[in-house]
Amino acid sequence: MVETREVLDVQVDPWRCTRCGACLAVCPTYRVLGRETESPRGRLALARAMSDGRLEPGAHTAELAYRCALCAACNNACPSGLQVDHILLGLRSQLASHDLLPDALKRLQSAIAQKHNILGEEQQSRALWYEGDGMGDRINKQAEIVYFVGCVSALFPSGYALPQQTVRLMKASGLDFTILGGEEWCCGYPLVLNGREDAVADIARNLVRHVQALGAKTLVTSCPSCYHAWKHIYPEIVPDMKLEVLHVSELLVRQIREGRLKLQQVPPMTVTFHDSCDLGRRSKVYEPPRELIQAIPGIKLVEMRDNRANALCCGGGGNMESAAPKLVEEASARRLQQAVETGATAVVTACPQCRRTLTGAARRGKVRMRVMDLAELLAKAVPE
Amino acid sequence: MTLTDSVLNELREIVGAEWVLTAPEDMLCYAYDGTFSEGHPDAVVLPASVPEVQAIVRLANREGIPIIPRGMGSGLAGATVPFEGGIAVTLTRMNRIIEIDPVDMVAVVEAGVITGDLQSEVEAKGLFFPPDPSSLKHCTIGGNVACNAGGPRCLKYGVTRDYVMAIQVVLADGRVMRVGTRTAKNATGYSLSHLFISSEGTLGIVTEVTLRLLPLPRSVQTALAVFPRLSDASETVTAVLQAGIRPVTLELMDETAIRCVEDYLHLGLPLDAEAILLIECDGEESQVASEIASVARLCQEHGASVKTASAKKDRDDLWRARRAISGSLARQRPNKLGEDIVVPRHAIPAMVARLKEISREFDVPIVIFGHAGDGNLHPNMLFDRRNPEEWARVQKCTAAIFEASVELGGTLSGEHGVGTLKRPYMSMAMDPVALETMKVIKQALDPLDILNPGKVVTE
Repeated sequence: MVETREVLDVQVDPWRCTRCGACLAVCPTYRVLGRETESPRGRLALARAMSDGRLEPGAHTAELAYRCALCAACNNACPSGLQVDHILLGLRSQLASHDLLPDALKRLQSAIAQKHNILGEEQQSRALWYEGDGMGDRINKQAEIVYFVGCVSALFPSGYALPQQTVRLMKASGLDFTILGGEEWCCGYPLVLNGREDAVADIARNLVRHVQALGAKTLVTSCPSCYHAWKHIYPEIVPDMKLEVLHVSELLVRQIREGRLKLQQVPPMTVTFHDSCDLGRRSKVYEPPRELIQAIPGIKLVEMRDNRANALCCGGGGNMESAAPKLVEEASARRLQQAVETGATAVVTACPQCRRTLTGAARRGKVRMRVMDLAELLAKAVPE
Repeated sequence: MTLTDSVLNELREIVGAEWVLTAPEDMLCYAYDGTFSEGHPDAVVLPASVPEVQAIVRLANREGIPIIPRGMGSGLAGATVPFEGGIAVTLTRMNRIIEIDPVDMVAVVEAGVITGDLQSEVEAKGLFFPPDPSSLKHCTIGGNVACNAGGPRCLKYGVTRDYVMAIQVVLADGRVMRVGTRTAKNATGYSLSHLFISSEGTLGIVTEVTLRLLPLPRSVQTALAVFPRLSDASETVTAVLQAGIRPVTLELMDETAIRCVEDYLHLGLPLDAEAILLIECDGEESQVASEIASVARLCQEHGASVKTASAKKDRDDLWRARRAISGSLARQRPNKLGEDIVVPRHAIPAMVARLKEISREFDVPIVIFGHAGDGNLHPNMLFDRRNPEEWARVQKCTAAIFEASVELGGTLSGEHGVGTLKRPYMSMAMDPVALETMKVIKQALDPLDILNPGKVVTE
C-alpha cells in the first residue's frame, strides 16, 4: 500500500496541483475572461514558477495575482484538496515584499494605516449613518454585545439602511448592545488580502482590547470579512481573546428561535439568497440566513443554480474592486443573471460588499431585481 | 522559435491586441495540459470567429509556425502541450450554442462550448447528450471531438464519435471545410468528419460541430456491489451483459482504489474487499427497476453485498467513492500518470491480473479503476517525478502496460487520445500499413506539418 502523506502538506503546496483543470469551471475570473492566466490553475503555475526561480517577481505578475476575488470556489472544486487561496496569498505576500503592490492597493493600505478605514476618510464619517437616530446612549458603552459595523456599511451612504435596520432588529429583540462609532477601526482584513498579514497584528490587539474593555462577551458583525478576521485570524494573534464572534444572521436566528424577535406577515414575495464567500465557503455559515428568510411569513426562498459551497462569487472580494473594477462588473453581472434565472424578484445578501456589487450590476444592466440585505428584508416583518 | 514583431503585429490585427498573449506569465500558463508535460508556446491567440482562425492559420502557413489548437487544457495525453513552441490557438472564446433543435434532435455548437454547459442546456429541453468525460465541466466540445472523448455512460450510449453528425473545420491552408449533414443517415461520399475525430488537431482545427441528441431518460437507478474477490466482480460484468441488460455504466474500483478512497474520506468501505462495481441503469421507470433488481441478484449470486438507490441524493452517495478516486490519488504521491488502455471484455480479468504483476515487477503502485463494462481501464501509476530512478521505473512500467494490453487484443487509448505520451508506442499498437496510411493522410492535409506537430503520428 502506498504511504499516506500529511494532508496539510498537500493543501498548501502548489506542486501538488495535478493540473486536472476542475477549478476552471468554478472560477469567476476564468469564466468571464476565458484565459488560463486568470484561472486558479494558472495562478498555481505562477506560484510554482516563482518558487523555483523561473519567474522573477514583476509588475505584470503582481497585476495578475491581484486580479482574483479570493472566493475560494477553487478550493471547493479541487479534487486534491489544495487551498488555492492560501497559496495565492503567499504569492501576494512575496510580491508585496518586493514593493509590487498595485497603486490602488497601496492607497488602500495607507488609508487603513493612517485613517483606520478603507476610504481614508475622517473617522467621524462612521457616525453619519446613525445621526439623529437615537444612538447616543449606545456608543462605546458597557454592553453584552458589541456590534462591529464595518467600513462598507458605515461609509457608503447607499448602504446605510443595512446598519440602520440591523440596529432596529437588535433593539426589537431587547439586546444589550453598543457600537464603537468613530472609534471603530478597519478590521485589517484588506491588508491580509494585500498579502500583508503582518500588518494586522496591531489592529487585532487594539480592537480586541477596546471591545473587551467594554465588558462585551459577544462581537457581532454584518460584514462576513470582518467576521472572518475576528473569528479566524484574531484568535491566532490574541490567543486569550474571550469573545464569542457571531455574524448578525447567527445572532438573529437565536432571537427568533428563543421568541424574542417576532416576525409578522409581509406581502408575498419570492427571493433568492446569495452566499458570501467569507460567510459561506470560508466560515461554513450557510443555514442561518436561510432559516431567517424562511421564518418570515409570506416570503418564499428559491435557490440559485450555484449555492452554498458552490456559490458563484459576486466578484467583490479579494480587494479585486480596487485592483480590477471592470472585472468585478463582469463577474457580478454573471451572478445577478443566476438570480434572475430563479424567477425571484429580490436577491438577499448577508454581506454589505456583495450588496454593493450586485446593486451595481443591477443598475448597470438595467435588471429589474431588488438587491437587499437580510436585515432590510427582516425589518419588513418587524413593525416600527 | 521566437515570433517576429511583424508576425505578432499581424496576429494583433487579426484578433485584437487584447487576445494575443506573449507575457512570460501567459507562456507559463499555456505550457501544460492535464498531465505533467510542459512546453512553452511563443504566443497564445484567442480568436472569436472562423475568419479569425482562418487568418491565423494562413499566417502560420506562410511563416512555417507551428499551431497548437486547444480548449481548456484538460487533456490527458500531452496533445495540447506546445513542445516545439509556436502559436497556441485557444478556442475558449468561440463558445456559442448556436442552435438546439428538438425536431431534428441536433445541437449546433462552436468548438469552445463547455460540454457540461451543453448538457445542462439540452437537458432543460428534455434532450440528452450522453458522452460524459469526467472533465465535462472543464473541457470543450472541440477537444472532445479532437480526442474522441468517452466517459462512464459510453457503455450504453457510445463515445463522442457516435454523436458527431457534421463538422466545420479550418484546414492547414486556411480553407474552411464543412462535412456531414444534420440528417439521420448519410451515405454520400467518404465519411470525412470521422477523419477529424481523434485527430487531436493534427489535420485541422474543428470550429463547429453538429451533434446528435437523444430523448432524456426518464428514470435512473444505481447499484453499488462490494466483492470479496476481484475475479467474481469480473465474472459479474460478463454475467450482467450476457443477461441482456445494457447498463448505462459499469464501473470498477480495485482494492488499491478502495483503500486510497477510504484513507481519504473514511466512508466505511470494507478494506478486505477486492473490488467494487458501480452499476447504473436508465430508461422507463418500470424497466429500470426490473433491470436493477436483476443486476443486484446477479451481483449477490457472485458473492457481493449490494446497495441500490433511485433518488438523486442517494445515488450521489453511492457515486461518492468512485468520484473521489482521482483526488485521493493526488494525496498519496506528487505525480500520477493515468493510462487509458482498452481490452476486449473477456480479457478484463487477465488485464487486471497483468497490471498487478507489472506493479510488483517495477515496484510502482498502480491503482486500477475504470469502465469495466467496455473494457476501458485507467491504471494510474503513482510516483514522484523529481526522483529520476523512480521516473525511469514508471516509464518501463508504462511500456509493460501497453504491451500487455496489445497482447490481449486491446489498444493504447480508449478515450484520452495519443498526444505525445503514447506516440512512442504507436508502432506497437497499429498495423504498419495503417500507420503509414495515417502519415500519408497527415502529409496530404498538412504538407508543411504546422498543425500540432509531433503529436499522434509525426515525429
